Amino acid sequence: MSYFVGLGLLFACLLVQAQGLSMELREAQAAVTVLGQTTNQTVTLPYHWDRRHVGVPGEATFELPFKLREVPTAPFGLYLPRLGNAYEIWLNGTLLQRNGDLAHFNGADFAKVPRYIVISPGLLRTSNLFRVHIRADVGRRGGLAALTLGPVEAVYPLYLHDYRWRYMGTLVVVILGLLIGGVALALWVTQVDTSAPSRSRRDRLYLLASLAELCWTISISDTLIENPPIPWPWWGITAIVAMAMWACCMALFCVEVAGWSRLRAVRWLRPWLALLLVTGCVGGTGALVYGYPVALTLWYMVFALTFLFFVPLFLWKAARGASLPHKMVAAAVLLNTLVGLRDLYMFRISSTYGGNTFLRYSSVLFGLTLGYIVITRFHAASGQARDLLANLAARVQQKEQELAQSYQRVEQLAREQERTAERTRILRDMHDGVGSHISTAIRQLESGRASQGEVLHTLRDSLDQLKLSIDAMHLPPGDITALLANLRYRLEPRLKASDIALQWDVDLLPPLTRLDDKAMRHLQFMVFEALSNVLQHAHASVLRIELRSSHAGGARLRVIDNGTGFEPERVQRRGLSSLRERAAAIEAGLLITSAPGNTVVEIMLESPTAHGSPV
Amino acid sequence: MRDFFSDSVSRCAQLQLAASVGTVTEAKTWLDEDTSPVDVLLTDLGLPDGSGLEVIRHATRLNPACEPLVISMFGDEDNVLASIEAGALGYIHKDSTPDDIAQTILDMRAGASPISPMIARRVLAKYQSDRRQQDRATPPVPRGLLSPREQEVLALISRGFSYAEIARLQALSVHTVQTHIKNLYGKLSVHSRSEAVFEATRMGFLVRHD
Repeated sequence: MSYFVGLGLLFACLLVQAQGLSMELREAQAAVTVLGQTTNQTVTLPYHWDRRHVGVPGEATFELPFKLREVPTAPFGLYLPRLGNAYEIWLNGTLLQRNGDLAHFNGADFAKVPRYIVISPGLLRTSNLFRVHIRADVGRRGGLAALTLGPVEAVYPLYLHDYRWRYMGTLVVVILGLLIGGVALALWVTQVDTSAPSRSRRDRLYLLASLAELCWTISISDTLIENPPIPWPWWGITAIVAMAMWACCMALFCVEVAGWSRLRAVRWLRPWLALLLVTGCVGGTGALVYGYPVALTLWYMVFALTFLFFVPLFLWKAARGASLPHKMVAAAVLLNTLVGLRDLYMFRISSTYGGNTFLRYSSVLFGLTLGYIVITRFHAASGQARDLLANLAARVQQKEQELAQSYQRVEQLAREQERTAERTRILRDMHDGVGSHISTAIRQLESGRASQGEVLHTLRDSLDQLKLSIDAMHLPPGDITALLANLRYRLEPRLKASDIALQWDVDLLPPLTRLDDKAMRHLQFMVFEALSNVLQHAHASVLRIELRSSHAGGARLRVIDNGTGFEPERVQRRGLSSLRERAAAIEAGLLITSAPGNTVVEIMLESPTAHGSPV
Repeated sequence: MRDFFSDSVSRCAQLQLAASVGTVTEAKTWLDEDTSPVDVLLTDLGLPDGSGLEVIRHATRLNPACEPLVISMFGDEDNVLASIEAGALGYIHKDSTPDDIAQTILDMRAGASPISPMIARRVLAKYQSDRRQQDRATPPVPRGLLSPREQEVLALISRGFSYAEIARLQALSVHTVQTHIKNLYGKLSVHSRSEAVFEATRMGFLVRHD
């Protein structure tokens, strides 16, 4: 505020300084034509048409005689703060400047900016006469301000200062307004909240701020436009409605900032503001088109009352500890209200004719507060994102640790399971093999009926079984060739002792993948059992071991001897039933054919790819 | 058990028992003090104060001509391989008969070392994995650890064929087959000395047999 006061003071100083050299022409003889009737009168400038002829357009000719003490040798400057809406300026019968069509009402408006005319010294005499013709439309601030005449160096600064404030200042504000409005609109379009799909996903705050700024821009850009895009009264109404819309949007913007959007009172505020906008159009039309300025004044009053209610409430809430954005907006509202009141006094109550409203400049503050809000929001959002990222990293790390731990647990569990399985296998081996052999040996010794050779045989069997079970741990799964080779190696001493000729006809087969450790051990037992039978009972002279791959990718193992043979169905040897059980356990086909001189134990192992189930 | 083995040796006319001791320390002391070099060393792996492998190394260091034999309960591949790599030229099962024991010693002196199909397969697999390592990294262990003929013999042993059957299949004499095997023992032992890590791993498998 002090800024404006300071500017005012500066302006006053300039006036005082200039008055020493320049003269101000205020007295004029006016011929005013309204509705075809011309009246002559002496008037004091400024002549504010809308004040003197309410609701009617007209024409006027002002004659301003003036004297100079001496004829100047240097060019003079003439500065007119405001005149028009269309005008002609004559000096001593010479046309100095013409703008607009004097006969065409509601045409282009040239009363918006101050005018400055350089007068060549040849045109001036000691006794002179300015004649100014104007055309004034309704509500367009037509008329004639006091003329200031003097040397160029004295008058031009006055004009320049006025021009800068009114034209350049407005231009800057308009550009700023477009910029802020555009950015706010872009924010509204791009900032979509996807967290809650049911609710309105865009932030209304941005839309309201954008609309307010754009409307305000339209409303004040009027100063810059001499030829409006639509005819005057409608253009005038557009400016009024844009201004009203600005105010309404600002009010709703304030509501959003204050966080009142869910209050019940606000539900009434919105339709009320919409109604104000509609009635604003009506009032504007009444005043500017039909010449009932009362309509507009009435509307202004209702409008003002609305804000007279809203603004103090908003300020009061802000004063009672609201959020910082709320307080900042409140400060802007307060300042704008004060400036608005000053403008109201200057242009509506006091009869200031030249000059421009200050509200257009102070309204920039709203844009700045919006900028502040956006910056704080983005700051908060980036902070949240940072926190989120840090949080996420920590959680990922935690999950990784948990995963590593659970992996470790699983691994440990698998190891334990493996150990348990291995232990079970070893225990079963000990039970079926060494354990049973030793207990048999004990029984044989206790009974006293068994010969030493029988006990020795049992114990040798036991040790062989133990060796085979140790070897089985190292047998590659499915390698039947290796299994047979190992078995032969282990039984070599017995074969040697038994005088049986061994025919070794073992092909090198690829590992049969379906046989696991357990199955290999079963197969080992089976072959061992078959060989034991031959060695113990067959009284054979030739033993033949054959391993062939079957055409289906499996294996065919045959133990053939030329011994006495037996009847498989009748003989209930423990070894034979064990053979069948184990064959079933590894899903192998078992075929035992026996005749004197030719006994064959055949074990068929199918590959899993050939058949789904065993034969 | 010690007496059983010393008796088995003493009973054989072609063998002379030089000494019989019970611990690694005693064995080392005796080997250090005795002036006449021994031809054959018979040792269990699990001794009260250490591993028989130490005795084997000590003996072969003092007298490279000494031929160590390992007494193994099961002749299982881990123990036998470790023994071979320590320098043993054969092994005797604990449950062998006295005649078998003497015969195995004499066979070994004559140039025949026993090898089981399982060990043959392991040696082949290990040789092949060594070959792969050689292809990848330098400097490698000496190339050509096994000759093609040795490989063929090993492959046949791993399939269960006897020396005689192999000799027939390969058109060799049984003696040549036996020589191949004994050479193999020597090569594995020399080879293993350049491979401390592998040896250490083997040692880890060892169990005591008291």
